[in-house]
Amino acid sequence: MTVLLLVLPLLGCLAVLGLPPKRAAAFGVAVTSATLATALLMAATFDYHRSGFAQFSVNAPWIPLIDLRIHLGVDGISLPLVVLTALLCALCAGYLARPSGQPERPRALVALLLLTEVGMLGTFVALNLLLFFVFFEVVLVPMYAVIAGWGGQRRAAAARQFILYTLLGSGVLLVGLLLLYSRTSTMDMVVLVGRAGTGLSHGVQVLGFLLIAGGLAVKVPVWPLHSWLPDAHTQAPTVGSVLLAGVLLKMGTYGMVRIAVPMLPEGAVALAPALGALGVAGIVYAALACLAQRDLKRLIAFSSVGHMGFVLLGIATLTPVGINAALLGNIAHGLITGLLFFLVGGIAQRYGSTDIDRIGGGLLAKAPRLGSLLVFAAVASLGLPGLAGFWGEMLAMLSAFRPAGGLNPALYLVFLAVAGLGTVLTAAYFLVMLRRVAQGVVPPRWTAERFGDVTAREWVAWTPLLVLVLAIGLWPRIVLGVTDGAVRVLLRGG
Amino acid sequence: MLQAYVPLVLLFALAGAFALFSVAAAPYIGPRRYNKAKLDAYECGIEPSPQPIVGGGRMPVAYYLTAMLFILFDIEMVFLYPFAVSANALGMFGLVEIALFVATVGFAYAYVWRRGGLDWN
Amino acid sequence: MSGFFSQAQQLQAPDVAYQAVLPMLLVLGAACVSVLFEAFLPRERRWGWQVALTVVTLAGAAISLIVYGNDAPKAGVKTFSDVLTIDRPTLFLWGTLLLLAFGAVLLIADRSVEPGGAFVAQAAIRPGTLQDRVQAAKVGMQTEVFPLTLFALGGMMVFCAANDLLTMFVALEVLSLPLYLMAGLARRRRLLSQEAAVKYFLLGAFASAFFLYGIALLYGYAGSVKLADIATAAAGTNRSDTLLFAGMGLLVVGLLFKASVGPFHTWTPDVYQGSPTPVTAFMAACTKVAAFGGILRVLMGAFASTNWEWRGVLWGVAIASMAIGAVLGLTQTDVKRMIAYSSVAHAGFLLVGSIALTSKGVSGTLFYLLAYGLTTVATFGIVSLVRDADGEASHLSQWAGLAKRSPIVAGVFTFLLLALAGIPLTSGFVGKFVVFSAALQSGMAPLVVVALVFSAVAAFFYLRVIVLMYFSEPAADGPTVTVPGAFTTMAITIGALATLVLGVFPSFALDWAGAGGFTF
Repeated sequence: MTVLLLVLPLLGCLAVLGLPPKRAAAFGVAVTSATLATALLMAATFDYHRSGFAQFSVNAPWIPLIDLRIHLGVDGISLPLVVLTALLCALCAGYLARPSGQPERPRALVALLLLTEVGMLGTFVALNLLLFFVFFEVVLVPMYAVIAGWGGQRRAAAARQFILYTLLGSGVLLVGLLLLYSRTSTMDMVVLVGRAGTGLSHGVQVLGFLLIAGGLAVKVPVWPLHSWLPDAHTQAPTVGSVLLAGVLLKMGTYGMVRIAVPMLPEGAVALAPALGALGVAGIVYAALACLAQRDLKRLIAFSSVGHMGFVLLGIATLTPVGINAALLGNIAHGLITGLLFFLVGGIAQRYGSTDIDRIGGGLLAKAPRLGSLLVFAAVASLGLPGLAGFWGEMLAMLSAFRPAGGLNPALYLVFLAVAGLGTVLTAAYFLVMLRRVAQGVVPPRWTAERFGDVTAREWVAWTPLLVLVLAIGLWPRIVLGVTDGAVRVLLRGG
Repeated sequence: MLQAYVPLVLLFALAGAFALFSVAAAPYIGPRRYNKAKLDAYECGIEPSPQPIVGGGRMPVAYYLTAMLFILFDIEMVFLYPFAVSANALGMFGLVEIALFVATVGFAYAYVWRRGGLDWN
Repeated sequence: MSGFFSQAQQLQAPDVAYQAVLPMLLVLGAACVSVLFEAFLPRERRWGWQVALTVVTLAGAAISLIVYGNDAPKAGVKTFSDVLTIDRPTLFLWGTLLLLAFGAVLLIADRSVEPGGAFVAQAAIRPGTLQDRVQAAKVGMQTEVFPLTLFALGGMMVFCAANDLLTMFVALEVLSLPLYLMAGLARRRRLLSQEAAVKYFLLGAFASAFFLYGIALLYGYAGSVKLADIATAAAGTNRSDTLLFAGMGLLVVGLLFKASVGPFHTWTPDVYQGSPTPVTAFMAACTKVAAFGGILRVLMGAFASTNWEWRGVLWGVAIASMAIGAVLGLTQTDVKRMIAYSSVAHAGFLLVGSIALTSKGVSGTLFYLLAYGLTTVATFGIVSLVRDADGEASHLSQWAGLAKRSPIVAGVFTFLLLALAGIPLTSGFVGKFVVFSAALQSGMAPLVVVALVFSAVAAFFYLRVIVLMYFSEPAADGPTVTVPGAFTTMAITIGALATLVLGVFPSFALDWAGAGGFTF
């Protein structure tokens, strides 16, 4: 089934090029829906008692000489991300198919979208380090093309920054993987997790962790490597922003949880404090930056840096609680930020701008349902209890109380305090944004304009996200129950 | 062991000094009687080919072809002598080899001949 | 005099393993026949005969190579008084050269893209004159390019197999001299083409002189020009290291020049740009294979034991080459110059593999050469297709919006550029991977990091071209994409397919490349 998951969008990607342009978007919806159905079927038939072990595995040789094998499988860590990816891709395809806003060159855009989906899903199901890297790279080029081809006015610079940063990041990652390979002579992730770093000297572990986590950090992005992100998110078209924030960033943290921490435990212990420090620095930095933003897309982009800071803090504790929190935070951020970007896309379509001053407030009066949804997504993002964003942040901070052995508890208490300050600032900037966009009277320039509230199609697209945000918020076991078993396996070393 | 080369170095120095001395001394002690031939560029002792008025000069390509052909057969000779000396030792193999070598040079000659490289005009 | 005679009597006719060297003999023999064709066939029939002869020769050489390779002794064969070594790397390099030369010959033979072929109809005409315009419009070309190609190829094959430095030097000249001439044979933009030829010749002559001086010093050091003797001398004596390293330095400079490794690359952009595009393809693919074949053999054969002394220098050279290629490539506005700088960057990557000095390094570099060569031939095939009234439209601005005019050509070119950038699922990625992992295993982690950084920078300028083709509006009077004839189509297809196959199923080629090591 994992193969089907990858083959469907890949075949779709090839087939769509042969279709007439008008049909492309509808075909994209069909393919992504079929992929989503496959993902859901997997989730339904997944054996949740054995969530720590790869299921639906495939293991076939590809290029034996460099130990590249088609080794795929899904466990408790990857399953939620696979479903999230399939869902967001289907929603993006649906967004492209709406009659009001057919994109230019729809065939190419749909094909790139499907290719990105192959790469993203492949990254999450790969169980061979080199295969992981191959899929990791496959995502880059189509994403670059999406930004460069369908982006906003300053897309060229944004796309350039994106590709330079991420290619450099993958370069460093590849060196790390090669180092690991040259010292263990296997690329099999299951085997490497099982060994949990035995046979690797302390120096190699630290260097390997530095390279692998460093390469992934660009993708996360970890402050101060984040500077590609605001531009890329702002300039990318809506579907690009949704996938960037919703899935691409997760590939980085997923890699850390899946590869860096379990395979190089000594390196993790040595460098986790630094990771945590960068995480909380990112939280505070992003919050301050958000307070200064005047563009909605940029604001959400910077808020991603902050949310990822919490995820990093969770990982940096190296405890099961922390890593579960990180994975939950990943999913929650994917859902909420995906929703936010869709909403901002809707606002941009109506107002023709995402500039906060230009919108000038009164969204709740002008389009009450759209306004309410924005309020909902914003408070979910700032971590209101009862919504998905809360648990990831809360558990991450909780885990910082008791970091794993070998880490300095006092240091983590400092992280905790700073992160707490960050949550306050996060709440502040989201509330300021809502006051300036949603509340207040409609400015005179918009009173004469007529634009509709949320359309039926938009409801269809956004409802799954709304429901999941609420469901995970009320009952986080949906995710934690799946991830916990796998996390314990990873940290125990098989 | 390098001492063996000292006479050689001395000879070089002497030759260089002589050349320098001759060139330097000529303007002071030599008679000065100029004519056209003396002031012209030296080109193998014949009169220099006329230069076009614009666009720099053209050299007759025939010079180069002849020179190249000369080198070709010169080199052939250089190889033929040692072959002749050791023909007995090399036997049949050497004979075939040298025949091939001569044939190869012959191909080049045939090419030059057929494509008009030997026509002076 | 009597001493001379007695020496002559000691001469022995060498043993020749004819079957092993048959591919090489076929190519060189065909080159001679090709000269006779030029001499005796009437002008209008030359092209057909030459193409047939060249293609049949390459095929025959390939078949004889395969037949011999199937049951060749694993340890290799030394022949012609041990001046040539036919070992596994030699066989792989020969196969690569024959394959790449076949692709290049297809491009050279094409007469549909540029009516009459990419080569000058009559060479000795001053550029820009009336006669030159008449020449450019003439149908027909100087078919001397075929024997020249065969001679160059033969030289390359000897170069890869040479077991002593003097043979290597002779082969170097045999491969270089035809290339100097071929660079000057473009039908259009004669001045640029002639400039390229002269530059290549002058700088190439310098490089040859360096090479020869290096040989002289090494002979002074070891008393022999054989690689194995130099290695023995270097391993176990207390002779003057100055001679050894000065000789090696000069020798390697000559080799690096041929391989267009920066900072010895300065001829590359000008020559790539000025030469007729099929010749550029031949030079970029085959010369690089031959030069790196030589570098690998010299470094492994003669200098492996002293690598602690010189490796640092070649680290620096590799870094410089990658930096020059990647950074200056960013600033180029001409497609051919851009690919030239990319080849400088690739030469840096190849050097990383070459100085690993392990069997993995050798096999990785060999695979990289095959992959890079095939991609390059196809790339130049595509470059020759985009034309306007003045011939090839190689300025990047003219490529804007190409995907709208010709989606297939733009698609194939995109794929090839991704391969040059080393994106996974192309041969470029596998090549980089094997080279870098070999380098890492021999303890060159910092160099690998630097290489990856520069490969990311280089990747960016390929992507820039892709974006330009797809997302820019085409200029109103932009170039057209010529529908290629059978020859060019075949060359591009072979190159692109090989790029895909070597990217997805490279095992067979990796096995061949790793089948055995050098014999000295």
